[in-house]
Amino acid sequence: MTHETFHHHTTDLPSSQLALRMLLQLAWRNLWRHRKRTLITLSSIAIGFSLAVISIGLGDGSHNSMVRNAIQLGEGHLTVQPPGYLASPANHRFIPDGQTLAQQMQQLEIAGHIDPRISLQILASTAHNSVGSSLQGMDTQHDQRIRLLKPKLIAGLWLEPDDQRGILIGVGMSRKLKAKVGSKVVLMAGKQSGDSQAQLGRVRGIFASGVSELDDFLVLSEIDFARYFLLGESDSDVADTPATPITRVAVFLDNPDHLNHWKTQLSTVLKSEHIAVLDWQEMMPQLVQFIIVDDAGNYIFLTLILIMVGFGIINTVLMSVLERTREFGLLRALGLSRYHLLLLVFAESLLLSVLAVTAGWLIGGSAHLWFASQGIDLSGVMNESTEIMGTFIDPVVYTELSWARIIQLTTIIFITTLSSGIYPAIKAARVTPVEALRT
Amino acid sequence: MALLTLEAISKHYRQGEIDLPALKQVDLSVEPGEFAALVGPSGSGKTTLLNIIGGLDVPNQGHVWLHGTDLTRLKDAQLSDFRLFQLGFIFQAYNLVPVLSALENVELIMVLQGRPSAEREARARHYLSLVGLEDVMLRRPSALSGGQQQRVAVARALAAGPRLVLADEPTANLDSENATALLDIMHRLCREEKTTFIFSTHDPRVMERAERIITLRDGAIVQDQHLNQTAYADHN
Repeated sequence: MTHETFHHHTTDLPSSQLALRMLLQLAWRNLWRHRKRTLITLSSIAIGFSLAVISIGLGDGSHNSMVRNAIQLGEGHLTVQPPGYLASPANHRFIPDGQTLAQQMQQLEIAGHIDPRISLQILASTAHNSVGSSLQGMDTQHDQRIRLLKPKLIAGLWLEPDDQRGILIGVGMSRKLKAKVGSKVVLMAGKQSGDSQAQLGRVRGIFASGVSELDDFLVLSEIDFARYFLLGESDSDVADTPATPITRVAVFLDNPDHLNHWKTQLSTVLKSEHIAVLDWQEMMPQLVQFIIVDDAGNYIFLTLILIMVGFGIINTVLMSVLERTREFGLLRALGLSRYHLLLLVFAESLLLSVLAVTAGWLIGGSAHLWFASQGIDLSGVMNESTEIMGTFIDPVVYTELSWARIIQLTTIIFITTLSSGIYPAIKAARVTPVEALRT
Repeated sequence: MALLTLEAISKHYRQGEIDLPALKQVDLSVEPGEFAALVGPSGSGKTTLLNIIGGLDVPNQGHVWLHGTDLTRLKDAQLSDFRLFQLGFIFQAYNLVPVLSALENVELIMVLQGRPSAEREARARHYLSLVGLEDVMLRRPSALSGGQQQRVAVARALAAGPRLVLADEPTANLDSENATALLDIMHRLCREEKTTFIFSTHDPRVMERAERIITLRDGAIVQDQHLNQTAYADHN
């Protein structure tokens, strides 16, 4: 092959092109011109990012722990109850035919548990004292609360299914009422008519949940015991009243991700002016607010990390741009367009971002996987109580990161790093060949 | 038809309140295949003239016609494309991309031109062989001597198939042996490839080989000599 073979002059003027492979190859090699600088930048970004991952993971883990416990101790993922009850709880607001409601809900074959409950505002009295309380009638053998509260019994026994008078009280209430296991407690509820009705309960057990709202105010009983108050509320013969009034049904879903689906299903099937279907966020708005505020703290931390990451990228890429002014002038002289020069520098930022995020996920992801399986024991730093907002955080917190969170974090860090690359890229693209080659 | 025509080119640079004239009403015509040297003392306007011919700088007045295109009317992006497809540059300070090998440096412009991979590699290898660098084409610039780097720059300028190669003091940083070798190569390629070369130089060795010497002083052409270089060409 002789050189004449190649001899020709270009007559047309197509636009310049820069193959992606060449662009990335150039960008990659440019990135590693100053190996130490790039490694230091990468390390700082990766460590910062991994700290953010762990911090967010811990935040999500503790929040999820709070929510799970709140749902478990409270009224489930979904609650079916009379409309307006949340705003104005009153003993006369109940669902008269709990049996039919339960049957309708059973037909939906919800993947989870359905717990009919009766919730009443009462006055609990002994010879020593009286305490305003919340009587919670439930299926004492199957209700979801059993899992959390039964292990917390510190005296006596859990209720037997046929125990028509037995009650369980919290340790705070037992102190106020000076009630022990076996003590009699008079439970009194006001009626809509202005009268009151009373039932005699006997303390079978005392629990210490660690949540003052439960320990000081909760009285647990078999649902049939609590139902006496609802039957009495009707002010009519028992024979004319539906046999199974309840105040609500708590729905515990096996998969909480299906919450919206089941909420819609229940709302559609149970559509009635006497029934409202609420999710746990509607039932516990204060808890939601608390999580939002607590999350804000995490986001401030994340923002600081992002600022650090942004400046890290700007520093590295901008220094590298300023050092190469002459080279950019050369490339422009040879025919590289401003656009391609901008792309080249931007590609360097992109590669730096990819490396930093990858390294960040490797470090942060590994730490997350470790803490997600081993957990962090916070009991030492949380003193005696892990109670927050009427629920509690498990003393051992496990980091949790949903896919949505992973995508969110990755997207945020990418947007930040890529945005950081814009200024250096514009700076490079502004280079004029003559001035640059003069340097 | 002339390959290059300069019409009344003037250029001045502003320094504070003062206008410093760099070129004054320069007219010039260069035919295809010429091997021409721009000579003159420092500050005479050689580099400014080369930059204007190469579309790297714009004159304050006048027109630059290259193969029928008035460069002074092209926008920045069009000038980039014009340089890419029509011009080759050889700079005093070699100016290779340090992260690319010799072969990749030569290929770079052809990549931008959008030539197929196989073609550009073949051309790059061919021109690197022509400048005597077939054994070191995979080395990066830092592993090449100054003379070798400048030969890579020559191969890069020619491999892209330009109409005109502009060389700004190409031998200024080379020792005598390397400068002579490089000039021989460029002169040979000028003749064989029919590519037009315009140099700016102080170097008598370049002037000796030039077929035309254009002398600039204080921004104006004061002498334009066409020389007979047949003897030199025959000798090589």
